[in-house]
Amino acid sequence: MSETMQTLDVKGAACPIPVVKTAKAMKTMSAGEALEIFATDPGVEPDMKAWTKQTGNELVSIDQQTGGVFRVVVRKS
Amino acid sequence: MAEDEESVLYVMTHGTESPERCATPFFLAASAAAMDLETGIYFTMNGPQLLKKGTAESIGPKGENGQKLAFFIEQALDCGVSLYVCQPSLDLNDLEASDLIDGVKMIGGAAFNDMAMEASAVVTF
Repeated sequence: MSETMQTLDVKGAACPIPVVKTAKAMKTMSAGEALEIFATDPGVEPDMKAWTKQTGNELVSIDQQTGGVFRVVVRKS
Repeated sequence: MAEDEESVLYVMTHGTESPERCATPFFLAASAAAMDLETGIYFTMNGPQLLKKGTAESIGPKGENGQKLAFFIEQALDCGVSLYVCQPSLDLNDLEASDLIDGVKMIGGAAFNDMAMEASAVVTF
């Protein structure tokens, strides 16, 4: 993907900070723009699924990387 | 807010006697507000003690370790969570509205019941 996206690093931050900061970052973005999030909170996958389901934004991907880091990509609807 | 105005109402009945219970309603409410849900916390019984000016800086869920309650309150307010108390709960705790942190809304039993009936979920602590 050649598309540029904003990045949010919330590694080390516990619930609810990943969701709260994602929501805040998305508010400043335009529809269609994507946000890449790096998080270590073990609950980030169900949380991001719930957050996107509720807010109507798109959950593009969640990948677990080494060191317990999750890379999440969401797109603003 | 959400298109069909879904909402969550939290009810907090505990106060400074159990600091380990103080932060959870605030961070769950912050999560709900971040999900575009209209979100409020109603403080009754001992709950209003947490909203007294100065208290949030002096207690935290893990005592001297970790964040103070002020961090969780600020996060919730920043996300758009509404905080509610009613007069009898203030009287019970010998508090007046002017003793509370800024931004707390006064309601009564009828308004609370109406909010509970309207809410998509009511969660009581």
